[in-house]
Amino acid sequence: MDKILIAFAAALAIGLPAIATAWAQSKIGAAGAGSLAEKPELSGTIIILVAIPETMVILGFVVAVIILLGG
Amino acid sequence: MIVKMSKVEIVGPRPLLEETLSLVRQKGDLHIEPSAVGFVDDTHKRDIHSLLPDEKTLFEKIFLEQLEANLSALLTCLPTELIRESFLSPRPIIDTVSRTLDKHLTMCRTFLEKRDALQHDLAELSGYKTFLSSVSTMFDKTGLTPDLDYIGISLKDEKSVNILKEGLDCLADASCELFTVSGEGGAVVGLIAATKDISDDIRGLLSEKQMPEFAFPESLQKLPFVQKVEYLQKEILEKETALQAVNAELEKFAHRWGPLYRAALDWVREQLSIIQVSACSFETAMCFFIYGWMPAEKVASLHASLQKKFTGSVVLQEIDIRIEDLERVPVVLQNPEYFKPFENFTRLLPLPSYTSFDPTPFIGLFFPLFFGLILGDAGYGFMLLLIAIITTGVSRKKQLFHDAIKILKVCSLYAIIFGLIYGELFGNFGHNVLGIKPLFLDRQKNIIPMLYFAMAVGLAHITLGLAMGFVSALRRHTKKEALAKLLNIVFIFLTVALIITFFGFFPQLLKRPLLITILVLCPLLLFSGGLLAPLELLKNIGNIISYVRIMAIGLTSVLLANVANQLSGLTGDIVLGVIVGGFIHLIGIIIGVFSSSIHSLRLHYVEFFDKFIELGGRKYRPFSPSEKSDPENYMSEKKHHKQEQQVHSS
Repeated sequence: MDKILIAFAAALAIGLPAIATAWAQSKIGAAGAGSLAEKPELSGTIIILVAIPETMVILGFVVAVIILLGG
Repeated sequence: MIVKMSKVEIVGPRPLLEETLSLVRQKGDLHIEPSAVGFVDDTHKRDIHSLLPDEKTLFEKIFLEQLEANLSALLTCLPTELIRESFLSPRPIIDTVSRTLDKHLTMCRTFLEKRDALQHDLAELSGYKTFLSSVSTMFDKTGLTPDLDYIGISLKDEKSVNILKEGLDCLADASCELFTVSGEGGAVVGLIAATKDISDDIRGLLSEKQMPEFAFPESLQKLPFVQKVEYLQKEILEKETALQAVNAELEKFAHRWGPLYRAALDWVREQLSIIQVSACSFETAMCFFIYGWMPAEKVASLHASLQKKFTGSVVLQEIDIRIEDLERVPVVLQNPEYFKPFENFTRLLPLPSYTSFDPTPFIGLFFPLFFGLILGDAGYGFMLLLIAIITTGVSRKKQLFHDAIKILKVCSLYAIIFGLIYGELFGNFGHNVLGIKPLFLDRQKNIIPMLYFAMAVGLAHITLGLAMGFVSALRRHTKKEALAKLLNIVFIFLTVALIITFFGFFPQLLKRPLLITILVLCPLLLFSGGLLAPLELLKNIGNIISYVRIMAIGLTSVLLANVANQLSGLTGDIVLGVIVGGFIHLIGIIIGVFSSSIHSLRLHYVEFFDKFIELGGRKYRPFSPSEKSDPENYMSEKKHHKQEQQVHSS
């Protein structure tokens, strides 16, 4: 039972940030694509903006690894 | 690297301004400053004012603009390839050029109109060309008989030919004959030769079978078939000959006059750019002043050229760059050959400011390293190197593609090196089949050490970024910011040491001194970085953790490679196994290259550059013949500086 709970906790730790990252990137990406059509010189800024939410899923991954290996 | 710039002032007697600007344009190194802010001190402000063009210059400008428009219009009429350069200098004959130009422009426009009309007619007649040539072939074969009537027909395919033949056999027995020749795209051109008494019946049959007779232009309806064909052939030939004659006339004209007019246009453009740029100069009662920026290494060359041409009448002087000028210094990036391809990544960002650093060398050093750390597979690296070597020859034509291949070569080498370190060759294929063992670390089994290693890489990278930020802040003389950057480095190391102490790697006794040091330094951090300083510190720690992606994405890449090997093994057949494995490995390589590049770049753009690169540098636009010196830009910049000056003085 403990193992199931640990696996479930790890899955939640990475799954929820992954969903959050995907949602944030979808919004930023759509707005960024619109901006790029108007101003192509903003490509660098848009890449940065799209990349920012990825940190969430990386942090989630670290937590998931800690849960799995700690448990 | 950001090239060291010099702030310069060129001074000379007012009548020598045009010649000086012409020489400056020829040298092509000076970025002319349209504003005197930072160049003229307050005591001399009243004596120096912007150069205003006199009436003669204004008339000259209007004349040259009109001439430029006409010359451009004329040259667009001519064939683009001119075979020689002009033997005449345009300056002495510019008046003659302006007089002959109108006549020649009208003549060329007439030629063009004639050519367009002929091309239009030929385009309309081109629909008949295939039919006419096929019918001519059939006429040659059969010979023309005046007693017979001829009907031309265009058929879809051979099947339609058979249907028509059957119909004709039933209708006219042996008093008509069908000749066919294959046309373009499977179509068939047919010619029915029949006695005049049954020709109407044949037309009726064609209409019944929905095979319409070939349609000629309406104006030729009354002519017999043979004359229609002859007339159209003659018409096409005449128009083609006329078109060739017009093209020959245009080429002859271009050969004779083109080089002269091209040289005249270049000269007119040079004169116009000089007049426009002279509006960015300044004058006193007797002298002119040109202010600007240029690479420090080129100052001596321009100085020598001015000295040689004007023998001391025009002087170039270097002025000290003051702290308040730093924001206005234009930025030129210059890198060694190895780093040049990586400038494509730098161009995605705005230019760095003059006091900051050029991001290119950092990307050139760390991007391939991170790429190798993430992909880390000798097999994949070797495949990428092979692709890069094969496509090197193809890529020479397109600069961007050529640069991408150069970057790929370096990255693939790093992927091979890290592949050997991790002991990976197409995932675990190298280990299982060839017995390859990791040189340093097996990242599939050592997840936690790899996680620490990735964070250590992040710590080193972020610390380097903060150290560069410290140097950059010192260069800008912003001491508080420099102190904040330094304290951030200290805090990060203290925090890391504290965490390590908690894990038991450092003596527990260190806990208290470390905590006390952190608490003591906190007020200093708040003083230097403001209330947001703790947030900045947390962001930096978050940035270090973000480097875990090096390990995470690398792990997914190697697991995908292992899946490919397992699946190919499950097929139980060598050929099928190679196909399945090869396909999944190919997907792995594509995903690996894409994700490794994106994440390596992201680590630079978001985590690393944020620490030390100040964006918003001014673009270096030297006054030169190659640089399309857009007068609009100069004038808008001048307006902007005037507004700036007004705000400053008010």
